[in-house]
Amino acid sequence: MVDAVLFEFLHTEMVAELWAHDSDPDPGPGGQKTSLLVLEGMGFRVGQALGERLPREMLAFREELDVLKFLCKDLWGAVFQKQMDSLRTNHQGTYVLQDSSFPLLVRMGSGLQYLEEAPKFLAFTCGLLRGTLSTLGIKSLVTASVAALPACKFQVVIQRP
Amino acid sequence: MTVHNLYLFDRNGVCLHYSEWHRKKQAGISKEEEFKLMYGMLFSIRSFVSKMSPLDMKDGFLAFQTSRYKLHYYETPTGIKVVMNTDLGVGPIRDVLHHIYSALYVELVVKNPLCPLGQTVQSELFRSRLDTYIRSLPFFSARAG
Repeated sequence: MVDAVLFEFLHTEMVAELWAHDSDPDPGPGGQKTSLLVLEGMGFRVGQALGERLPREMLAFREELDVLKFLCKDLWGAVFQKQMDSLRTNHQGTYVLQDSSFPLLVRMGSGLQYLEEAPKFLAFTCGLLRGTLSTLGIKSLVTASVAALPACKFQVVIQRP
Repeated sequence: MTVHNLYLFDRNGVCLHYSEWHRKKQAGISKEEEFKLMYGMLFSIRSFVSKMSPLDMKDGFLAFQTSRYKLHYYETPTGIKVVMNTDLGVGPIRDVLHHIYSALYVELVVKNPLCPLGQTVQSELFRSRLDTYIRSLPFFSARAG
């Protein structure tokens, strides 16, 4: 098992690098969006690859809920060494995954300090979820929200054609 | 038995953090001057101790004490210095100072993407965890002894 710190430091640098480049041309929300999209895209690509590599046995994903459970247990376990704290659904294609102490946020604060910066650190992980779902055959839209560090929620909306 | 105050310096003499718990007398100079004075003194004592040591040096400067308080010192290979003033009843606390460095500073400041290194620490989480930790130490009592 590799030390989780390596991924954390790399992720920190990714966010910092994208923000450093983008603060000059477009300081408004438009520029920020591009960086978030880039991070999300990177996460998507990584998620696609992880989706191929992670499921070790021939897991019969009988339904969507099994796939989401796999994300909460195995994907989170492999990347963050812990499991997602709760999974809720409305059984109509929307799932809310809650992590009460998200490893990429847990060092930053506990409460409201740094709340505005938090979304930058969630973009990669949203992409990760979306990418893994896409390899497993599910098209989705993933967004994240933070009410108070280090707890955060990921909302997955399945796109049915 | 109690802890009076705590300073955290980096390699360049920047005071990263200062908190006090029981300090009845202030230094009479501004905080910046006080930090510079403290850092300058530590720098001089360290070099004095290593030059004048009659034997090969192992850990270097550890602590000094006066008739009222004791100053404990811990330095890491990266130049981070933890300085704690306690009262006289407290013995060697190198492991406490090391814990402050590894479990608090490294975990909550170095690993925090939003805390730039080399500047005073702004993170509320660091401040509150440090405070909780100090208050939980066996030699800290809420009333200055």
